Amino acid sequence: MIEKLPVLAGSVAVIVLMLTVAFALGFRPKVQLNDAALAQLASNEGASIEAALIAPDAKSALARLTGGKIMVARAMGGDVSARIAPASAVHARLKGQKLSVQFADVGYPPLHMKVQTPPAWLADLVGEGR
Amino acid sequence: MTASATSTSDSILTALQALDKDLIITFAVPGFVLLILIEMVVVRLSKHGRYDVKDSATSLSMGFGNQIAGILFGGFVIYSYFWAYQYHLFDLGWTWPVLVACFFLEDMAYYWFHRIAHERRFFWASHIVHHSSQHYNLTTALRQTWTGALGLNFIFWLPLIYIGFPPGMVLMFSAFSLVYQFWIHTETIGRMGPFEWVMNTPSHHRVHHAINARYLDANYAGVLIIWDRLFGTFVPEDDRELPRYGIVSQLGTFNPFRVAFHEWAGIWRDVTRAKSVREVFGYTFGPPGWSPDGSRKTSASIKAEWAARQQAAAVPAE
Repeated sequence: MIEKLPVLAGSVAVIVLMLTVAFALGFRPKVQLNDAALAQLASNEGASIEAALIAPDAKSALARLTGGKIMVARAMGGDVSARIAPASAVHARLKGQKLSVQFADVGYPPLHMKVQTPPAWLADLVGEGR
Repeated sequence: MTASATSTSDSILTALQALDKDLIITFAVPGFVLLILIEMVVVRLSKHGRYDVKDSATSLSMGFGNQIAGILFGGFVIYSYFWAYQYHLFDLGWTWPVLVACFFLEDMAYYWFHRIAHERRFFWASHIVHHSSQHYNLTTALRQTWTGALGLNFIFWLPLIYIGFPPGMVLMFSAFSLVYQFWIHTETIGRMGPFEWVMNTPSHHRVHHAINARYLDANYAGVLIIWDRLFGTFVPEDDRELPRYGIVSQLGTFNPFRVAFHEWAGIWRDVTRAKSVREVFGYTFGPPGWSPDGSRKTSASIKAEWAARQQAAAVPAE
């Protein structure tokens, strides 16, 4: 293992070089979530949006779909990643203005977003997920 | 054959036999780096292809972790090969006909490993890492698993060892295959004419990385696309349907540790909640997405839904 350390250090240096070049070339896309993007994500799953909540920074969103399912979406650089699950499978907590939404999926970490005025349906969700 | 030609041929065989197989990849790394830098510039200038520094950072971190995993667990794989070689059926040795046969059979073993890595969740848990980027560029090629050895990926090559192919020869062709597959992870190269008939190419491999229903579970080839054509899994890239990359449930994180272990955690979660041995077996060795009540999506169910939609669209409304 010790004799491999120079090789590993070289790898780190090369990784830093490549990422620096990527950064310098401007590969820093940022997607903004909006109602149209959420509607598209829902329609990909054959559903439509009943109500949605988009974070002030437009990087995350929570929506209630037709059929009672819940969708969360988060911006991943220039892409979007979403999860759709029954409301009972979603653990939502609201502390003051801070909303946390958690799935039983290690590949989708808890979503935290600021909610200025929680809508009534969110209170239902927080109640169900508790 | 003249004496000098025979001598040269023997020297090449001896050199190949003595070659440290790790060096094949080590020597390729500068080429990888150069090609990635060139691809970045080409993408910037041509707007063909996509890069995201965060996504690339994750891919490169996974490659780095794979390197560490290789140092830690690679010996286990090599030991397994040499252990199996004790029981080999034939003494094949290092000769040119054996080299040629080994090239084809190693590539076929890769095809079956790769196919099963997509079709069975236990093996998918390691391989999913490589597919977890929503981008398709040369850094995606380096997004490699950390759990390949622990996930027993090497067992697919053991039959070759058991037949009698020298472990060093199999390792050599595995390394060449890995190096070959690097350059095909790009959107900057289109179709390649007759080369596409036999060889795995960027176009064929874009299809493999796509999550569009029509492209799912296709083009498992390593070096030669002939295995997909032979075993019925070949799907050509359709210019009317651009590939969308990643996995069916896209990851919501760039954290390399979550990327590396999320599917294993998913198996653990499902198995600990299973209600019968059948469920344990299904969650572990069933197709990815298997569930007892069929409520989750598998590749087969996604393709079936897509086919039904296509059929419905083709039937004119009365």
